[in-house]
Amino acid sequence: MAMSSSATLVLETRDLTVSYRPYGLPPVQALRKVNVKIALGEILGLVGESGAGKTTLAKAIMGVIPQPGAVEFGQILFNGTDLVRQPEHKLNQLRGRAISIIVANPRGELNPLLSIGEQLTNLARFHLQASVRQARQLALDMLRAVKIPDPARRFRAYPHELSGGMAQRVVIAAGLICAPQLVISDDATSGLDVTVQVQILDLLKKLARERQTSMLYITRDAGVAANFCDRIAILYKGEIVEEAPTAAFFAGPAHPYSNLLLAAFSHHSALRKRWSREVEPLAKDEIGGSACLFADRCLLRQGRCFHEHPQLRELAPGRFVRCHFPVERPSS
Amino acid sequence: MVILRYIGSRLLFLVPQIVGIVLVGFILIKAVPGDPATLMLGPMASTDSIARLRTDLGLDQPLPVQFLIYLQKLAHGDFGTSWQTTQPVLSDLRTRFPATLELVTYGMLLALLIGIPLGVLSAVRKRGAIGKIGGMYGLVAGALPDFWLALVLVFVFYSELHWLASPIGRIDISVIPPDTITGFYTIDSLLTGNWDALGSSVQHLLLPVITLGLINAGPILKMTQSTMDRMLQADFSQYERLCGLPPQLIMRHAFRNALPSIITIVSVLYGFLIGGAVLVEIVFSWGGAGQYAVQGVLNSDFNPVLGFVIFSALFSLVVYFLVDLAYLAIDPRIRH
Amino acid sequence: MPLPLQNRFNAELKSAVWSLILERTGYGLRYFVQFLRVYPGYAAGYIIVLTVALVAAVAPLIAPYSPVNADASVYLQPPALSHVLGTDSTGMDVFSRVIFAPRIDLAIAVIGTLVSSIVGSSIGAWVGYFQATTGIRSFLSSIIMRAADVLQAFPVFVFAIALVAVFGQSINSLVLAIAFVNIPIYLRLMRSQVLRIRDMRYVEAAYILGVPDWVIIGRHIIPNSIAPALAQLSVNIGWSILLTAGLSFVGAGVRAPTPEWGSMIAMGFPNVMTGQWWPSVFPGLALAITVFGFALIGASIEFLADPRRRRTLASGKPPLPTQA
Repeated sequence: MAMSSSATLVLETRDLTVSYRPYGLPPVQALRKVNVKIALGEILGLVGESGAGKTTLAKAIMGVIPQPGAVEFGQILFNGTDLVRQPEHKLNQLRGRAISIIVANPRGELNPLLSIGEQLTNLARFHLQASVRQARQLALDMLRAVKIPDPARRFRAYPHELSGGMAQRVVIAAGLICAPQLVISDDATSGLDVTVQVQILDLLKKLARERQTSMLYITRDAGVAANFCDRIAILYKGEIVEEAPTAAFFAGPAHPYSNLLLAAFSHHSALRKRWSREVEPLAKDEIGGSACLFADRCLLRQGRCFHEHPQLRELAPGRFVRCHFPVERPSS
Repeated sequence: MVILRYIGSRLLFLVPQIVGIVLVGFILIKAVPGDPATLMLGPMASTDSIARLRTDLGLDQPLPVQFLIYLQKLAHGDFGTSWQTTQPVLSDLRTRFPATLELVTYGMLLALLIGIPLGVLSAVRKRGAIGKIGGMYGLVAGALPDFWLALVLVFVFYSELHWLASPIGRIDISVIPPDTITGFYTIDSLLTGNWDALGSSVQHLLLPVITLGLINAGPILKMTQSTMDRMLQADFSQYERLCGLPPQLIMRHAFRNALPSIITIVSVLYGFLIGGAVLVEIVFSWGGAGQYAVQGVLNSDFNPVLGFVIFSALFSLVVYFLVDLAYLAIDPRIRH
Repeated sequence: MPLPLQNRFNAELKSAVWSLILERTGYGLRYFVQFLRVYPGYAAGYIIVLTVALVAAVAPLIAPYSPVNADASVYLQPPALSHVLGTDSTGMDVFSRVIFAPRIDLAIAVIGTLVSSIVGSSIGAWVGYFQATTGIRSFLSSIIMRAADVLQAFPVFVFAIALVAVFGQSINSLVLAIAFVNIPIYLRLMRSQVLRIRDMRYVEAAYILGVPDWVIIGRHIIPNSIAPALAQLSVNIGWSILLTAGLSFVGAGVRAPTPEWGSMIAMGFPNVMTGQWWPSVFPGLALAITVFGFALIGASIEFLADPRRRRTLASGKPPLPTQA
């Protein structure tokens, strides 16, 4: 599809479907036929609300979907190899090395008994087969790159001695130390102070550009994605409902849900008012088995939305939307 | 410097704790009906001699005064005399306490050897047979009466299979015990090159140590399993997995995080067993300190009881103190 | 509020609470049954304890011989058809004594543990609730805690024997000894639970709103603290049986010829050396199985009460104890 077809795809998911099947309860579809493409050096922003399936996608790519979930259908192609079919030890070789993840709540995720230097060198020594000295040097370089002040001293520090922003930088360093091809950031900046968040995002972007690293930036905050990502994909209830280059998206989103998202952040009170009106919840019999998933919250819904599940279609080169009645805008 | 201050403050707390324990023991013992003087002199004694003995022993004084007198003697290292052995309690305990300590220490070592590896394995391989066996072991070991298990082992290995010599005491009657250096027969015979004593004492240690080891491996296994499992489920272990670190490394890190809890239960068990091994001591006629104290209570011979209580309390406090030092070494979060 | 309105309010509150209790109980029962279906192994604990209790209750009806009358002509007979588990050194039938013994062992352990749990929990809850407050209550709390520390530092077995010596050797004093020895456990348990819940936001909110202390304790604190205490109770009963048997083994417990597992083992002790194992082994086996049953029940209660596991009970097949 348009923009990414010429470049090599680092990550491509094809009709990825993930379900959770709790014992004795009806199954929950976390991801429905999700198609995501990330090219070399590209930053894709994945925006969605809580429960949309963003973390499930991250876990699916890393191969760590918790029980009782599993990939029911589809492929996850990393440089052409289907990760779903790979055995555990092969996946483990990729984790941290070729695909790394930057997590939220870094102080809870780092090992409390090891110094951060030790944890970084562990990565370098295991994945890169570096010697002790080489690993230490790499770790120090990385700490410097993420702009941690006085890296030599912080090398011996323990996670509980660090502030939130500092710990986040350490986790970023861990995510980049092996020079991976794909970095997944799972809501990594949401808990930070706003000023720190800006710094970290600038840092990430710079490092990504320098090393031609692709990124999957998962967030709930559409506004942050605006400055940071090359393309945006919106995830709603496990489905991609819109995908577009950033500029085009923010100029005028096509899907009603995207508009709702942006209106929530908007300064224009008129825009907010227009999109944030309450919608009458639907009676159960009004929704057919295959309706649009957003129908019960959509301001623009019409009869067709209740019976026909919309497919993702290309509105313009590189712009995709899953809606029967996307928002049309005169180009401005 | 911080360490020294910490040690100092702990030692400061030691004294009132010991006094408290002695007080409770004293009250308890004085509450037991029965007149020690009568017991000591026997049923044929005259009332005069009993009265004289009571005055000699200070039993006619009011209780608080008796307590203070006892404390005063204690401060000079006088634990009183046992009328059963007619020896000073301190010298009785000097042989008996190491006997119990030797037995309990080897028992704990065996329990650690069984409990920790099994605990780690059952946490790592939860789904497999090992996981279920581990869970079962903890429950079964906690249900077995230690004195009964000792009897069963004696029956199997002595009465039926005749693999071992008579299970009485710490060493064969015909063998001369080694010179006392530490009080541990095994160590002393090694140090003095007394191979007969070494062989005999090891043989006599086998069954009681196996009994204590098998049973006490239970709580150690349970604690190890549950803590390892918790650490393996914790965020940092998941993160290490996301970083692609090898499973053995993740396991080693999880174990290190689990150590504080494991050390806690080991220390509690160790302190408990000093008095808790008494039943096994009785089965094997070990001549240990717990047995000594129990006989004291049963025969209204109180000085041994108080002496034992003090010794065992001191021992527990020392163990807890060492454990706290170990925590400081392991967990950097505590240092701040 | 005007009086009639207040009455109606109270009545509605009462009926709401009652229906809530019924609903919760029903939900709890359904959950319990599902739990047993998924983990049938735990049912063994309940079966064992119920069987032992039943056997003890009907022992007079099913025992082939009297548990206390000795027939010296048949002493030390190995297990045979006439005496299923053999006879001991005085000629008493081992089987009859083994099934009579739990009447004493269970009674002592259950009553003693119940008493200690009620007393210990009450004191513990009181201490936990008033701990950080100023004044005499807080001071009392500290004293109680220090006293509990000292009591727990005392060697348990020696303490129990001394208590028996103090109260005189009888069944009642055994109950008292068991109760005494176990009080610190419940004290600590309840105290830590109360402390944990007391600091939770919703309790703080209730307090700020002016809800009286006893309502807070009854409505919020106690329901959330019961589960660990219940699990502890079952395991404790098992352990108390072991302690009673141990005390009888050294002669400080139940006196002969009253059948009791520990004293039976003691009586058979000299015979074991000479190869007659049955007077000691069978009572010990019965003892171990009973304690195991209680321990299993305790483990099942612990599992049931853990809210995290509640979720994983509904996940995957076969479900596992703890999952991510």
